[in-house]
Amino acid sequence: MAAAVTASMQPKSMTRAKKWDEVVENAYRFQLAGYRDEEEYRSVKKVDSAEKWDNGFVKKLQRKDGCFYYYNKARECSDKDVPKTKLYNY
Amino acid sequence: MSSEILLKGTRMETEGFTTKSRLRNAKVLAPPNAGAFKERPAKPTAFRKFYERGDFPIALEHDTKGNKIAWKVEIEKLDYHHYLPLFFDGLCETTHPYEFFARQGVHDMLEHGGSKILPVIPQLIIPIKNALNTRNRQVVCTTLKVLQHLVVSGEMVGEALVPYYRQILPILNIFKNMNLNSGDGIDYSQQKRENIGDLIQETLEAFERHGGEDAFINIKYMVPTYESCMLN
Repeated sequence: MAAAVTASMQPKSMTRAKKWDEVVENAYRFQLAGYRDEEEYRSVKKVDSAEKWDNGFVKKLQRKDGCFYYYNKARECSDKDVPKTKLYNY
Repeated sequence: MSSEILLKGTRMETEGFTTKSRLRNAKVLAPPNAGAFKERPAKPTAFRKFYERGDFPIALEHDTKGNKIAWKVEIEKLDYHHYLPLFFDGLCETTHPYEFFARQGVHDMLEHGGSKILPVIPQLIIPIKNALNTRNRQVVCTTLKVLQHLVVSGEMVGEALVPYYRQILPILNIFKNMNLNSGDGIDYSQQKRENIGDLIQETLEAFERHGGEDAFINIKYMVPTYESCMLN
């Protein structure tokens, strides 16, 4: 059963971001901390959701080694980083 | 006649206001430089000592994305009275990695400190003053950006800084006119926000906006050429 749950968490496809928007911004923040996206963060950390700023951007993430990353309220994903950001589909 | 010619040939150089300077054949030299703009190297900082001893709750990372600090504990749980003045102390540093960790550490702590910053303000003044006093262009730039961040970091922080203008603003007064007059050429330091004159103007305006009603008159007292951005 547990295997089925984790299997369902696997993404079916991946695309790379073309243009910056809020989804890309958050994906960038998760990937900087070493996670695929919020889905994986939730399943690894066993939390309901990541801590966010009031504008919806991720505020704080705990990496897999236990260290904390803190993010700004303003945009952090520069144009140069947009094509490196991966968007997963389930 | 011949003696005058002789004297003209042997003029002696001397400083002003000395007995020699009153002689007929004395050539009084210009006064020496006061050195108001000269750099004054900082002493080794406490930040460096603590960093090398490994006292900070930060993890070292040797990868390519070097613009973040990995904190070993949550910033919310840090003792601001201890750590924030230490990180501010590191603003005097100009070498890697001290400079980066001090700057980024201050940034993270201010961004996520909220109400914990206000009580620590009195302890931040001396590190800020030391950093500005180095008169090192890079250090002054960083400190000005930190000051701009500081006034918006929490409630009443701007107001709490007003009594300390006497400590902070003299250096801003000295460098206020340090703008590049390039005519209609392009000053690239503006794009990178490294133009000290512009940064000082921005900082003073931020002080005035967030410093409450007494801010302007106190700024004007220390920086007489400052004009209000809110009145008029």
